[in-house]
Amino acid sequence: MKVAYFSPMPPSRSGIADYSALLLPALRERIEVVVAEPGRRAPSADVALYHVGNDPEAHGWIVDALRKRPGVVVLHEYVLHHLISGITIGRGDGRGYLDAMERELGVAGRLLGLGVLDNLLPLLWETQPERFPLAGTILDDARGLIVHSDFVARAARAAGYDGRLWRIPHPAWPMHEVTAASDVSGDPLIGCFGFLNMNKRIPELLQAFASLRAKRPGARLLLAGAAGERFDLTRRLERLGLGDGITRLDYVPEERMWSLMAACDVLVNLRFPTMGETSGSVIRGLSLGKAMVVSDVGWFAELPDDVALKVPVDDVEVPMLEAALGFAAEHASELGANARAYVAREHDLAHAADEYAAALEIAAGGDAVDDAVLWRIAEAAAEVGIDDAPALARAAVESGILE
Amino acid sequence: MRVVVAAPQVPFVHGGAEVMADDLVAALRARGHEATLVTMPFKWYPGARVLDQAFLWRLADLTESDGRPIDRVIATKFPAYCVRHPNKVAWVLHQFRQAYDYDRTELGQFSEEPFDRATRRAVERLDAVALGEARKVFATSRNVADRLQRFNGIDAEVLPHPPQALPYRSGEPEGYVFSVGRLDRAKRLDLLIEAAKREPSLRVVIAGEGPDADRLRGLANGNVEFLGRVDDERLADLYARCSAVYYAPIDEDFGMVPYEAFLAGKPVLTTTDAGGPLEVVRDRVTGVVVAPDAAELGRGAAYLVGHVDEAKAWGVAGRAVAERVTWDACVDALLS
Repeated sequence: MKVAYFSPMPPSRSGIADYSALLLPALRERIEVVVAEPGRRAPSADVALYHVGNDPEAHGWIVDALRKRPGVVVLHEYVLHHLISGITIGRGDGRGYLDAMERELGVAGRLLGLGVLDNLLPLLWETQPERFPLAGTILDDARGLIVHSDFVARAARAAGYDGRLWRIPHPAWPMHEVTAASDVSGDPLIGCFGFLNMNKRIPELLQAFASLRAKRPGARLLLAGAAGERFDLTRRLERLGLGDGITRLDYVPEERMWSLMAACDVLVNLRFPTMGETSGSVIRGLSLGKAMVVSDVGWFAELPDDVALKVPVDDVEVPMLEAALGFAAEHASELGANARAYVAREHDLAHAADEYAAALEIAAGGDAVDDAVLWRIAEAAAEVGIDDAPALARAAVESGILE
Repeated sequence: MRVVVAAPQVPFVHGGAEVMADDLVAALRARGHEATLVTMPFKWYPGARVLDQAFLWRLADLTESDGRPIDRVIATKFPAYCVRHPNKVAWVLHQFRQAYDYDRTELGQFSEEPFDRATRRAVERLDAVALGEARKVFATSRNVADRLQRFNGIDAEVLPHPPQALPYRSGEPEGYVFSVGRLDRAKRLDLLIEAAKREPSLRVVIAGEGPDADRLRGLANGNVEFLGRVDDERLADLYARCSAVYYAPIDEDFGMVPYEAFLAGKPVLTTTDAGGPLEVVRDRVTGVVVAPDAAELGRGAAYLVGHVDEAKAWGVAGRAVAERVTWDACVDALLS
């Protein structure tokens, strides 16, 4: 059995490319995989697997292929407004955008879309994409759906997706020897990795850290990652007077990131609103056995309570965050041990690859198997005058023989 | 208690699994329970037929019989354990191994075609549902329990069952290695036959019938005697007079033969990849364990035939192991 695999791949700087680089070798041990390439003809295969994320540059060609040949979709995040607008409006296809908005919200959605096209409304993918995820048009072409969280599974079902669905946890990177960076330090050293913008709650993090540092002058915050275009981080740091309390690094390569994470006592990864994404950065941190502080939203909220401290996004977010950072630093060793055990238990790469292989095999041949069984049962029943095939199908599904 | 023992039946085949189911019914009755065997024919090919057969069990209503409730169902094999019952206990001799450890081996059934791959997954899913709803899952050996854990994530308690009731006795060894069982490829009798060719002094006696009989007869030389099916008295006699018993299937689930050999005070010759038998056959403790290679087997068999005192001692040690497995313990566990 052969799988056509559609995903951004390294050297593309995307979390999904990293994910595929991690998953593919393990998946290839279980099933034959041909990797599709943008701009080239889709490989022939028994089933196609499409990794879908929100970046139209990285995923536009994948959605094009999905539309030509429906297959199994891996929904890495649920909010796809940026992707959909990019492959519709971005290609001069305003009608496509309106269709997607109508699929989401009916006539009201279409009218909102018209408002965007006519510049009467702000660009929704920039201002409030979480309110209009636009995943529906992708789900319509999915012959099977793989998600990483219950949050996305629920959202897909709520959007009307009623096909096969598998929840496969994001696999962790196999642990290798990581030497903690010696050029960063703090007591405690708190690390925040990844793209830095409002969604990552950086203003709230800075406020909470400033309060913590007033009580623990040795504390330092390492901010590693590129800052958003409209997010003036430097000015914010100056205003808070954090001075040498902050270590600021731009994009860091993979090996350096592991090394910096290993040097931290506590890692923090906040989010609001969530786009339904899973954080590779959080998985890396937990693999390293680090105490983790996250926002109590989406996939992050599904982490066990004894593994990550979850801070609600509300009007007491900042003091709660300060308390969580302090608590995590005090209990770093205990939380870290829990984290390591959790990752080994729930995010095992071999297990994820097994689950993928099972999902793809069922997606490729499951319908034919179901039909074969139902046909024989229906035939036997029909011969004696019982020909209510739907009732038989329900019985088969109830018994677990058929999905 | 009113107990149903649910077991599939391959028409015209009567092997260890059928003996075990019959013996379980007898053991339950002997302890004052009302017990009966419920069986259905099992055909696992072609294509997705294996799923139809599971569905037959699923449709069977064993919650009551003749207006009186059935208190417990003890199911022994796939697909019998697919039956629905609120007090179902699975005592797993084995799963449908073609979907698991036999898959992608010469013993497998499913090709790389999407239909076959999906059928295999459907069996996997069915096991998850059927065994997941059991109030307790037992496995007849550690090997079977490990497979349940490895392939399905199901915890099973190991509960071996006693071998069939025969008039076991131990006699003086007469210099032959004995094998009994269904003659199919998985039992790997060709290895023993090849060993007999390499050790001209080695005598081999084989009892049983099966689909591989003609091929095996064609492989054998004059040192090997095929007896076909034998009755219980003759079987006990063959055990009693042999020097050792050969039993080396590939990764066997459990295997009653070593227990039968032990109850006749005989050591067992097996291989390092035999699976379940290795849980009781320990090298130079209760038998001889060698690599799955004809030359090695030939040397092992010759050693057991030539070293009568050691072979006897290992047989006696095996008897102590076998005598610890009783129907009292099994029935208590299954009905608890």
